[in-house]
Amino acid sequence: MEYLLVKFREARGVIIDGISEGMTNEVLELETGTHSVTLEAPPDFTPELHEFLLRKTSVISPKVISFEKV
Amino acid sequence: MKKYRLNKYLYPALIITLFFLCSCAHYQKNLPQTDIHQNEPYTFDAFNQPRDADETFVILTFSGGGTRAAAFSYGVLEEMKNTQLPGLNKTILDEADIISTVSGGSFTGAYYALFGPRIFTDFKEKFLYRNIQKELALSLMNPANWLRLSSPYFSRIDLAAELYDTTIFEAGTFKSLADRKKRPFLIINATSLYQGSRFEFTGEQFNYIGSDILSYPIARAVAASSAFPFLLSPISLINYPYPDEYKMTDADKMALKDYWNNKSRYYNAFNNTMYADKKGHSYLHLMDGGLADNIGLRAVNDLYLRGGIRKKINSGEIKRLLVIVVNAKNEPQETLDKNESPPGLSTVALKTATVSMDNYSFETVESIKKLFADRIEAQMNLDGCQQKLDEHCKDGYKLPALAGGKMKLYVVDISFDNLPDNDEKNFLKHLPTTFHLEKNEVERLISAGRLLFKGHPEFKAFMDEFK
Repeated sequence: MEYLLVKFREARGVIIDGISEGMTNEVLELETGTHSVTLEAPPDFTPELHEFLLRKTSVISPKVISFEKV
Repeated sequence: MKKYRLNKYLYPALIITLFFLCSCAHYQKNLPQTDIHQNEPYTFDAFNQPRDADETFVILTFSGGGTRAAAFSYGVLEEMKNTQLPGLNKTILDEADIISTVSGGSFTGAYYALFGPRIFTDFKEKFLYRNIQKELALSLMNPANWLRLSSPYFSRIDLAAELYDTTIFEAGTFKSLADRKKRPFLIINATSLYQGSRFEFTGEQFNYIGSDILSYPIARAVAASSAFPFLLSPISLINYPYPDEYKMTDADKMALKDYWNNKSRYYNAFNNTMYADKKGHSYLHLMDGGLADNIGLRAVNDLYLRGGIRKKINSGEIKRLLVIVVNAKNEPQETLDKNESPPGLSTVALKTATVSMDNYSFETVESIKKLFADRIEAQMNLDGCQQKLDEHCKDGYKLPALAGGKMKLYVVDISFDNLPDNDEKNFLKHLPTTFHLEKNEVERLISAGRLLFKGHPEFKAFMDEFK
């Protein structure tokens, strides 16, 4: 499995590959591969979507992506 | 004279008409989907429960193996019903969330999902003690059915499905399961002949073929799941055009980019999305689920990696995850290796078609155990690092928490090999794969299922959690 940390200044639901799954600011466990990540409403964040390849991560060294509040 | 002439033409005409009508016999078609939300009631998400109800999440998988498998898994269900969870006013069976079934195991799993605790009062008479094999043979010998079987669109498996529908599943459909609004969520597994891949009877899978699952009879799904090669013919489904609003899921779009990164994810999406080619794949032909996975565990593996279970783990809903694998694998007594001359064509053909059925069952169990071990290791690594940071760094830095926290995960793999009594082990392992066993054989299988479940060390560890 791979590990992903979605950073946002508040706790917000995360949508991974179109499915609501987990929260921001905690390490999410996912399958190796290409994923798209966005946040749940309201749409007050940027960018709208991250798409990336998730591999070669560990629980103490997860891939980190960030959304900024706008 | 006139009467004679009438008879001369009337009877042959009647016979020809009857033959024509009967040869128009057609298998029961799956119906098209009229809108994209139609299958939602039979998806895992629709079987959701209150958030805290998933703290203990229990999954059962029932293998193939005819009546042997059906009775063995029934024994496990019976023991689960009799096992109270300490401190809670419920049994371990009340906690069953998913049942994934193959072939013979599909009869027990589907019956429990459809009728609940009633299984403990009438399933033995309705299925386990019956000589289904003989009933199927009698049905084949019925002259009325000869005419139906002469149709290219009606075959032996359709007779079997009719028998199961009327005498076991009482015309139940997937709507009957959805209407119960009660777990366990049943996943009946078959094998797509074209790809040799797993085909599950769920709303998600039927979305790919533009078909309505709710109206589909459970008996036909069970028949597909248990369509043993050569003995029974495949169950056919129509691949319909998609409703107007249909679009490929984001998860499939992402997975189809992963050929070089994750082939398991890629092929899972590829095998499902290929049904978008409605001209090239107008029909699907399904056979015994054991050809793709004889223990029903790959459905669970997929849900853990990328489906509903993964979602629940990342959302912190599951605290304890227990997977119970009931594997009725046998070792039929064969004399192949005693003869110098090679076996005949029919033996080779049957062997070739079925030899793969249990080849990878062991590896599939090991694979899910490895996934669970990796999760536990990740939890321990995170804890260990945090402890070191707390000891050596004074700024109080906290590592981000792992979603789902410190889960407990257990795999209870039940098979005849676990039996302590060698005589009983050998007896059960040599029972054939058939839909007819003697009553005492059925009872011994049930007893073995009960004994092996309650004595399994992983199950004992799971129960200790509640003390």
